[in-house]
Amino acid sequence: MIEHLTHLALPLLILLPLTSAALAFALGPGRGASLVIASSALQLLLALLLAATIGSAGPSHHAAGGWGAPLGIDLVADGLAAAMLLLTQGVALALFVFARGYFHQDSQDADHWAPAGRYFWPLASFLVAGMNALYLSEDIFNLYVTLELVGLAAVGLVASGGGATQTAAALRYLFAAILGSGAYLLGVALLYGSYGSVSIAALTPAIAASAPAVTTVALVAALLMVTGLLIKSALFPFHFWLPPAHGGSPAPVSALLSALVVKASIYLVLRLWLGPLQPLLAPFAWLPAILGASAILWGSWQAIRAERLKLLVAYSTVAQLGYLFIALPLAAASTTGVAPVAIVTLQAVAHGLAKAAMFAAAGIILHATGRDRVSDVAGIAERLPLTLFTFALAGVSLMGLPPSGGFLAKWLLIDLALAQGQWWLVAVIIAGGLLAAVYIFRVLRQAFLNLPEAEIEAEHQKARVVPRSAEWAAFALAASSILLGIFGGVPLLQLVGGSV
Amino acid sequence: MKRFAVSAAALGFAFWLISALLNLPATLIDLRPLLAEAIPKSGVAHPVTAVLLNTRGYDTLLEIAVLLVALIGVLIAVPPGNPALSERPATADDAMVPALARLVAPLAVFFAIYVLWAGAHRPGGAFQAAAILAAALVLLHLAGLTAAWSAPTLRLRIGLIAGFLIFLAIAAAPLLGGMLLQYPPALVGTLILVIESGLTISLALVLAGLFLLLADRGGVR
Repeated sequence: MIEHLTHLALPLLILLPLTSAALAFALGPGRGASLVIASSALQLLLALLLAATIGSAGPSHHAAGGWGAPLGIDLVADGLAAAMLLLTQGVALALFVFARGYFHQDSQDADHWAPAGRYFWPLASFLVAGMNALYLSEDIFNLYVTLELVGLAAVGLVASGGGATQTAAALRYLFAAILGSGAYLLGVALLYGSYGSVSIAALTPAIAASAPAVTTVALVAALLMVTGLLIKSALFPFHFWLPPAHGGSPAPVSALLSALVVKASIYLVLRLWLGPLQPLLAPFAWLPAILGASAILWGSWQAIRAERLKLLVAYSTVAQLGYLFIALPLAAASTTGVAPVAIVTLQAVAHGLAKAAMFAAAGIILHATGRDRVSDVAGIAERLPLTLFTFALAGVSLMGLPPSGGFLAKWLLIDLALAQGQWWLVAVIIAGGLLAAVYIFRVLRQAFLNLPEAEIEAEHQKARVVPRSAEWAAFALAASSILLGIFGGVPLLQLVGGSV
Repeated sequence: MKRFAVSAAALGFAFWLISALLNLPATLIDLRPLLAEAIPKSGVAHPVTAVLLNTRGYDTLLEIAVLLVALIGVLIAVPPGNPALSERPATADDAMVPALARLVAPLAVFFAIYVLWAGAHRPGGAFQAAAILAAALVLLHLAGLTAAWSAPTLRLRIGLIAGFLIFLAIAAAPLLGGMLLQYPPALVGTLILVIESGLTISLALVLAGLFLLLADRGGVR
């Protein structure tokens, strides 16, 4: 029974969210929400089962259509894919519980939903389906289709916030996403023209065999694919679209985008760069590392200067994504110790959990105060202690303080950089942690400011209710980003490290 | 100056791209003989349909999802109860246009059914048939015979997803004993026709929706 379920886990992780997305569209937000939440709970179980199987029995394969690559499309899950699937299902489930409370809060009437929540459920479920398909795909053209599904669903979610600023942010995001996937697709076409296949398993040996005399076409193809993905990943200096899109959306959307969506294209960069494109791209490995280091410094600086709370959290994403790229040259050069890809994955998971918690907490705070400036969070410590605790716990992981998952990842990264003698990277990582502390404490300091008694009364009068379920869902995410450092880190490193 | 530099660079890249594509070397892997072998087992005779619905049917499944997402994106752009959105049929200025549309629409339905059927052995299939049906719906609206759409009713929403759900069900059913989308050999032709028929209806509604949900907002007509 369990064996059969594991065999089914790969396709079911794609079919379940697709089905619930379509049904949620037909049923409308009320029953749609229940359906999507139930489906993602089931998906989380499947992802856990898959990770357990891969940990003991190695990668899992599924040939869609029964043809097998290169004629058909193969689905493959290794430790890295399983870790990303786990992150996606876990964060999505918590955020869906959060979103149900968040979108439902103002209404007395059970059937009344905030406009932003009307199409949230089908779009979010299509988004998860797209990401799951992306993590499982072993075919560079199929990956393009999954990128489009993820990108369009994400743009729709940003636009669902309504209003002119949101529409402008969504449009800018759409242009960036289309430019990125267009460049990727052009690269795929050129690679297919050069090697005659779009299956990664078939391409890897073919490209390696041609490596001594790489054609310009293949090189341009690889660069186009990676550049397209970097635009979608918002790596500095391509981050221009991220702060308005992530900072202005409804909180559940910001959290989904910052915690999960950008990770999908970064996963592809790593997977392709360290896989089939390695022979073509080896001379360029330092470029993403330098951009990543710039992203850490620039993003943190902008977060320190940001006036609006959610913009601060969004710029923090720009900075934290930088860490995922500085390991690229280390990964190419490393032979011993903890696999660099495993460290990057740990950082991605730690950031995903912490950032989802932080955006959710920021959303609750904004909703309770009705204002979005950092200076407006004064007095929050008394009114929303649980949410402030959530924000602080998430901050601990982002700063990289022990015992959080963020600490473990950054510590291993420093260790790796030292082993290879890259002192400047160590300096950047430490500086990034200090800068993160500055912007997190900027918020915490405000939150603990005491308001005069009269003002507290006035705030309480106009305070809007935030459902407890939403507060606890956000707290669960923050707590797991801390627990990841204590209990989850080693199994995760083994799961990913054993397979790559 | 900047515009000139960008255009020159884009033009140069385009020329390089064209010359590079014209001089591609022979590839190590050739899929054509593999596909030729697979076609007799694929349930259809036309290679494009065999690739789209059989060997790479999984791509197509995800592409339908992309189209649904695009439609939801349009729905978000048009809030319900938008005063700019009238449900009155647009009025045609000329009596000839509605008369012609009344003649063309039924023919378009026939032609769509033919194109759907033809997909098994020659160029055609669900996407093309859906595009013809959607064009007929748009034509009826432009001729002033049907209203633009506002927020979709439950019945329309079911119509929009029905084809996708049928495809999902047929894709998932083989999982009981085999792989995703692994059609049983005896039924493969029939199942592909069922999928394509469902997709024709739903995709026609999706494609027409992309126009009719935005129609009558000024500028589109």
